[in-house]
Amino acid sequence: MRAFLKATLVWAILAAIGAVLVVGLGLYNVSARQGHLPGVSWVLHTAYKNAVWLRAPSEEEVPDLTPPSLVDLGQGHYENACAFCHAMPGQSRAETALSMLPAPPHITEAVADWEPRHMFWIVKNGVKMSGMPAWPSQRRDDDVWAVVAFLTAVKRGERHGEAQTELPAGGDLAGETGSLPLAPAAAVYRDQCLSCHGRDGFAGGNVFIPRLDTLPAAYVAASLQAYRSGARQSGIMQQAASQLSDPQIAALAAYIANQSRDRLAEHEVGNLDPELVSRGDVLAHGGDEKANIPSCVSCHGPASSPRSDHFPPLAGQSEVFLRDQLMLWKSGRRGGTDRALMMHEAIPDLTKADMLALAQYYASLPPSR
Amino acid sequence: MRGRALRFSPVALLLLAGCTGTQSALDPAGKDASVLADLFWVLLIGATVLWLAVNGLFFYVTRIEPRSLSRRLAETLVIGGGIVFPFFLLSGLLAYALSIMPDQRLEGTGVQIRVTGEQWWWRVEYIPEPGAEPIVAANEIRLPVDHRTEIKLGADKFIHSFWIPALAGKMDMFPGRETRLAVEPTKVGVYRGQCAEFCGEAHALMAFQAVVMEQDEFAAWLEKERQDAVMPASDLARQGEAIFLEEGCGACHTVRGTEARGPAGPDLTHVGSRLSLGAAVLPSDREAFADWVRHTKRIKPGVKMPPYVHLSDEKLSALSAYLEGLK
Repeated sequence: MRAFLKATLVWAILAAIGAVLVVGLGLYNVSARQGHLPGVSWVLHTAYKNAVWLRAPSEEEVPDLTPPSLVDLGQGHYENACAFCHAMPGQSRAETALSMLPAPPHITEAVADWEPRHMFWIVKNGVKMSGMPAWPSQRRDDDVWAVVAFLTAVKRGERHGEAQTELPAGGDLAGETGSLPLAPAAAVYRDQCLSCHGRDGFAGGNVFIPRLDTLPAAYVAASLQAYRSGARQSGIMQQAASQLSDPQIAALAAYIANQSRDRLAEHEVGNLDPELVSRGDVLAHGGDEKANIPSCVSCHGPASSPRSDHFPPLAGQSEVFLRDQLMLWKSGRRGGTDRALMMHEAIPDLTKADMLALAQYYASLPPSR
Repeated sequence: MRGRALRFSPVALLLLAGCTGTQSALDPAGKDASVLADLFWVLLIGATVLWLAVNGLFFYVTRIEPRSLSRRLAETLVIGGGIVFPFFLLSGLLAYALSIMPDQRLEGTGVQIRVTGEQWWWRVEYIPEPGAEPIVAANEIRLPVDHRTEIKLGADKFIHSFWIPALAGKMDMFPGRETRLAVEPTKVGVYRGQCAEFCGEAHALMAFQAVVMEQDEFAAWLEKERQDAVMPASDLARQGEAIFLEEGCGACHTVRGTEARGPAGPDLTHVGSRLSLGAAVLPSDREAFADWVRHTKRIKPGVKMPPYVHLSDEKLSALSAYLEGLK
């Protein structure tokens, strides 16, 4: 018994010395060029798969992922944030991405093994030690689902390699050939905004994406600042805003506010319920004394006197976008500019039916500046 | 002994000072309040006499004449002092207290006032005659002197209690149920009312002023209150009006005669003519308006109005000039 204890102690000391040497003297080679030791890859990959299976949300929590607009939103973000490593369908991965360890799987390969609920967990949480990042905001599951909608469409073979927005041949984008100070802003717009918000900020009528052509510069700038600081959360918008400098934000806001208003007339109202629209109209104008609901038009228009440039006019935004934003406010997860406090006071007494009515009312109005 | 009396006297003075003033049930300025004050004094004097008698008796039988009483005397004392005397005394007091109740419940006539307890302020509506369009105001109640005015009480979300100690008793206010009260002020003056039922964070800061006016003055005031807001008189105030609309103040507040028709907060049509601000937490002057708009939550924790920290000093002073001018 004594001999056994003695031997154990000796081995323990030797193991500790070995560990100190490996860690302390840098003997373990962390080079990504060297593969893992035999068996380690299998252990890691198996642990990863089992962890995803264990933790993914249930089938019932998966929303409807089929709307093409949702797929487009997911694709717009994928192009900006994910394609560098995983490539667009039908295209190949960058050599640099392939040199990672583990090499990120090509999108078609990556989606093959997983159901939407698993993809959601992976996109939201990322994978430790693999280079796959977590979703920047843990409050916006809705935009994680947009990416999952795109991945699911790829898996079904519905999206191939086509870029969602045709990039204009040089000089086509407003301001790119125009007055000099706007040119850098146009380039930022092209790189960061175009894939989702489209030319002229109109978003091609995508119901999940707000149109920017009705927004004043001050509001756009303050919103970008809020995304950059994390005061307003969205994995998609925080990714786009995080690398902008203050002057870039100011220039970009001015660029967006100065874009042509050619698309302003383009407005698809979709299927609105006239009864809800008129209920929304009454509520938006008069508020509700009993329920403590302020009037919406006092800040968001339409109104006969001017409103502060720090409030977004809502006329002409899509019903879906407005409804989703109202739900975010109501759930307390929607941050924003320094005016967000006002919405936090205004929202608690709105019922779900009120929010639907308001979304329909504002969606029914023609966009205006 | 003299030293103790001297030390005691300032405290006694302070205590007595608490009995006068604008918010004292012991300094009544209304018919109902003076009946209640009488009731208080009668009961207090009665209770004091009883207390002295009972304790005097104890003292007598334990310290002065500590010998056994004859059975007859003991029984007389127990039955007489313990049953017969309290029966008649308490019956008398009960009869007196009950006798004042019908008068307390008398209905008022003329202009009716509807007061709703909100978070944490008072919505006040004057209804000149049944069915007439109410004249909306807030956080201040004006009353004609020597006239019994009917007040209908309600509440928005929480239970409050309406109490102007100098004028009448208190009455609870419930969401979804109407209670009532009538007041009959007898002295012109400004009195203070206070929420008297713990209702939430800003309960202690939920007060108001009750202004008792001569009857003809009241009629003239009400007529003025009925009018739309006055036009801003200076350039600064005109800028303030534009800022008021621009910054969305009209979402919650109404200023009659302008675009601002918000129903959720206090009506500001004549806010500049009120004696206080924020439900009697601040005076009503330009500095106070600016202070309030910028620091709502600091001045009154739990208030629904967000602090407008983003307004520049210039905008804030224009806005204050406008609000102060809403006489």
